[in-house]
Amino acid sequence: MLRMTLAVIRKDMTLTLLRGNGLVQALLLGLLLIFVFSLSQGVGESLSARSAAAVFWLSSAFCQILMFNQLYALEEVNNSRLGLLLSPAPIQAIWLGKAIAGFVLLLSAQCIFLPATVIFLGKSLSGPPGPSLVILLLTDTGMCALGSLLGALAQGQTAREALLGIVFFPLLTPLLLAGTGIGAQAFDGIDPDGSSAWLGLASAFDAIFLAAGLLLFAFLYAGDE
Amino acid sequence: MPKSSPPPLILLLLGSVSLACCQWLIYFYAPTEAAMGLIHKIFYIHLPLAWGALFSFFLVFLGSVAYLFKRDSGLDRLCVAAAETGLLLSGLALFTGMLWARKSWGVWWTWDPRLTTTFIMWFVYAGYLVLRSLNLSMRRKSLVCAVVGVIAFLDVPLVFISARIWRSIHPAVFGTEGGELEPKMKLTVAVCVISFGFLWAGLVRLRERQLDLRARMDTIACDIP
Repeated sequence: MLRMTLAVIRKDMTLTLLRGNGLVQALLLGLLLIFVFSLSQGVGESLSARSAAAVFWLSSAFCQILMFNQLYALEEVNNSRLGLLLSPAPIQAIWLGKAIAGFVLLLSAQCIFLPATVIFLGKSLSGPPGPSLVILLLTDTGMCALGSLLGALAQGQTAREALLGIVFFPLLTPLLLAGTGIGAQAFDGIDPDGSSAWLGLASAFDAIFLAAGLLLFAFLYAGDE
Repeated sequence: MPKSSPPPLILLLLGSVSLACCQWLIYFYAPTEAAMGLIHKIFYIHLPLAWGALFSFFLVFLGSVAYLFKRDSGLDRLCVAAAETGLLLSGLALFTGMLWARKSWGVWWTWDPRLTTTFIMWFVYAGYLVLRSLNLSMRRKSLVCAVVGVIAFLDVPLVFISARIWRSIHPAVFGTEGGELEPKMKLTVAVCVISFGFLWAGLVRLRERQLDLRARMDTIACDIP
């Protein structure tokens, strides 16, 4: 399973980075969202730390929808999906491979979104870096576990992004709240709610949806349209 | 086959008559709450609606798990009937909750765990029903919806906990020291919940029966040369 997972990661990363358009599109959308929200600030004003964190995670969520849409669209051409399905490895390797590829791409995009949030929304990273980094990794893990599962849901559909968004955003609410809660702490250094509760929640989300992905992906990813 | 076979009709009649009788309990037996006055009576409808919605979503979860193992189209139709009923009831619960919130807390909406959970679930199951309208084969559509039905319910406790960490002002109805309902109110709400349970079961069964008939008609139409 590990070999197949690595092969899927290598294939998806190579195709996405070489073609570029899917990644660029996702990056531009995320950056555009941050820029548009920056217009809501008057001269000399700045968004609250919680609002800035929410904008950052919203950009990440939109970017991630486009990325998983792109990752699953790679096999739409020439029915390549059948090739993956026929490979002698557990089908969960495809889910895991795409989740890890999505995780790397999302993390790369966030390396651009974070400075953009600091610059356009007038924030500084004054909070403790430890919990913020942990919640970033935990939230990204949950988003990619769920994204990789739901990415297979829309296979063969023309309006994949809209479809994914409708199902994906409400399910992602707990993670986005956790990311926003600790993200606010990272931006203003104040910790009103405590970070341990959010870290626990994000870990629980990851555990549930990693298990759900492993169990349910085989039902979704099939040869029929 | 008759238009409405006995079980759903009996359940609906039982529910309607008992709910009509509940009005006497609500307005003449249960005391009026001192602080809120008459608007408190909406609680006797709001709670059964919210519980009915939650039961519907739980039924979607159970039906979806069963469908994934048995692939019985009857189970899929049961899930659709429960999801539609749940969406209707959660919408009504949100509406009555907003009326309550306006009088009780002075706002139409507040980010309370139960309100937020109901709202997010409304979106998730609205997305679930959007999936039903996809241009997919019946088998594939049922499979995709069953997977979403499972992960949607897995998300319920996480949404609730995340909203609770975020902030909460909702009154705890049962099981709190000092904040419990008085006995007459408790009896009234229990009778309302049981009466509404009959109506809920009748609605789900009736809708399921309609879907069964439609599936049967589709099969007959396909057989006509």
